[in-house]
Amino acid sequence: MKKPSIPLGLVFSQSGPYAMMAGEMLKSAWMAIDEVNQSHEFDFTFAAHLRDPGGVVAAYHDACADLIRQEQVEHIVGCYTSASRKQVIPIVERTERLLWHPARYEGFESSDNVIYVGAAPNHNVVPLVRHMLDHISSDVFCIGSNYVWTWETNRVIREIVTSAGGRILAERLLELGETAVDHIVREIIDRKPPVVFNTLVGESSYAFVRALHEATTRARLTIPMLSCSLCEPELKLIGPAASVGCITSSAYFESIDRPQNRAFVARWRARHGTDSNPSVDGQSTYVCVMLLARAIRRAGTTDVAAVRRAAANHRYESPQGPVWVDPDNNHCFLTPRLARSVPGCQFEIFWEAEAPERPDPYLSNLDLATIGMRPEKSNDTMPKRANHLRVVK
Amino acid sequence: MRRQFNRLGMAVTEHDPAEAPPPGDAVDVIVMDGDSIPIKCDTAAAWRIGAPIIALIGTETPSRLKWLLDLQPASFLVKPLRSAGLYTALVVAFDAAQRRTNEAAHVERLEGRVRSRRVVFAAVLQIMRGHGLSETEAFALIRQTAMRHRTTVEQLSAEIVAVGGMPNRTTRTA
Repeated sequence: MKKPSIPLGLVFSQSGPYAMMAGEMLKSAWMAIDEVNQSHEFDFTFAAHLRDPGGVVAAYHDACADLIRQEQVEHIVGCYTSASRKQVIPIVERTERLLWHPARYEGFESSDNVIYVGAAPNHNVVPLVRHMLDHISSDVFCIGSNYVWTWETNRVIREIVTSAGGRILAERLLELGETAVDHIVREIIDRKPPVVFNTLVGESSYAFVRALHEATTRARLTIPMLSCSLCEPELKLIGPAASVGCITSSAYFESIDRPQNRAFVARWRARHGTDSNPSVDGQSTYVCVMLLARAIRRAGTTDVAAVRRAAANHRYESPQGPVWVDPDNNHCFLTPRLARSVPGCQFEIFWEAEAPERPDPYLSNLDLATIGMRPEKSNDTMPKRANHLRVVK
Repeated sequence: MRRQFNRLGMAVTEHDPAEAPPPGDAVDVIVMDGDSIPIKCDTAAAWRIGAPIIALIGTETPSRLKWLLDLQPASFLVKPLRSAGLYTALVVAFDAAQRRTNEAAHVERLEGRVRSRRVVFAAVLQIMRGHGLSETEAFALIRQTAMRHRTTVEQLSAEIVAVGGMPNRTTRTA
C-alpha cells in the first residue's frame, strides 16, 4: 500500500553570495526527507518542491507565493538570511502557512507562522560573551560585516561588556563580501587588544582569519578570536593552519558525543563522502524536517494550527541533543556549547550548558547583573579574572 | 506608495538617501526606507531638513530602532506596506510636526520671559522706590500700564530701567 504524500516547500538559494551555506542546508533537507520517506515510523511521505531565489531578496516572496498557489504546500522549510525571512513572513501570515526557519539569527522577532529552529541570541552570543568576561578579558576589539546580524550581535556584546565594566576598544565594519582586511589587521597588531570578536560572514571572515593568523604569527602575538558563526566546512575554506584556535559558540558541532550525532555524522558521510562535514545550519535544517514530520504524525493532519499545537513542547532527540518548540514564542529549546577549533578542521567542545535553554528572542530574561560574577567553581581550570561590577541604581 | 500619495493629491519625488537632500522648503514630508540605509552612516541625519519624516521599518531590532529615534520621525509605518495606514501616518506626521513647531515657539517665548526676569525685577524695585509702593502694588502698576499701552510687562520694564522711572507715553500700539 502506497503511503499518502505531503507536499513540502523548500526555499534555498543555490547561487548568489551565500549559496555555500544554503547548499549545505539543502543537502541536509534532502537527507531528512529521504529518511522520513524510507522510515516505517511515518505513515506518509514528503514530496519536496524546491524553489531557488538565487540569493535575490525580492525573489523570496514570489518563490513562496508560487509554492503555496501552485504546489499547495502548507509547510515551507528554508531562508538563511533575515532579509529573506522578512520577505516571506507577510505571505505565510496572510495565507496561514508555516515557515520552518533553520538558521541562527539576531532575535527580536516572533511570528505565529514561523517555527524558529536556529539559535536565538541567548543561545549563542550571551554564553560566548560570558566566557570572554570570565576567562579572557572585558576589553574587546569587534569586527563584523555591515548588516543586521552584526549590528545586533555587537549591541548585545556592548550591553553586556559595558555593564561588567569592560570596554569596546573598536567596532570595525566591512561591507558584505569585502576581503580587503589588511588595514584592520594592522590596527589589531598595533593596538594588541586582549581579544577579537569576529562577526564577519563568508569570504570577509575567511580572508580576515587568514590575515590575522599570518600577522600574529609574524609578530609572535597570541590574540584569542571569538566567533558565533564559524562551522566545520568554513574551517576547511580558511585553511588548516589559520583555522586553528577560534573560540566558537554554537548549538551544534560535528564533534558532539551522543549516539544520535555519531549516527547522523555516519549517515552524512555515507551520503556525501568521508571528507564532507555537516554544519550547524545544515543540522538545524535536518532538525526542521524531523520536527515537522513528528508534529504531522502527532497531529494526524498537515493543518497548520494542529501541527503548531502538536509541535509545542514535543521533545525530539536530535543529533544536537533534545530539541523542542517553546509555544510562547515559536523558538526552540537548544543546548548552548562553546568549542575551540583544532587541527583537522574540527571543534573541541570545552563547555556545554547543563540542560537545553529556553529561547529568549527578545533577551527579556537577560540579567546583566549576574554576568561577570559567576560563583567560583572548584573545578575551574582557567585563571579567573577579577570581576567588574556595576552598581545598578 | 506613489499611487496612494497621488490619490491624496500629493506629488512624489524619489531620492537616493546617499544623495544630498533637496532644499527644505521643496517638500512637505519625507518618507524614508530604513532598511535601505546602513545604521552606521550619517546620510540619514542629513535628511533632517525640517520637513516631517515618516520612517518605514522592516526590521524591528534595537539597533535599527535606536537609528529611528535619532532620526526623530514624526510617524512611521511597518513593512510590508499596505493600502491602509499611509494616510494615518501622514495625518499623524503633519500633526506631530505642527505640535513640534508650536511647542518650539512656546518654549522660545518662555525662555525670553525667563531671560527678562532680571529686568522686570529691576523695574519693580525702581517703581517701589520712586512711588513708595509695596512689591505687589508696584508689579500691579507695571502690569496695568503695560496693558494700557498694549505692550508686554517685559518690554515696559526694559523702558522703565532705561529711563529710570515710568515712561511718559501716550497710548501706543504694539
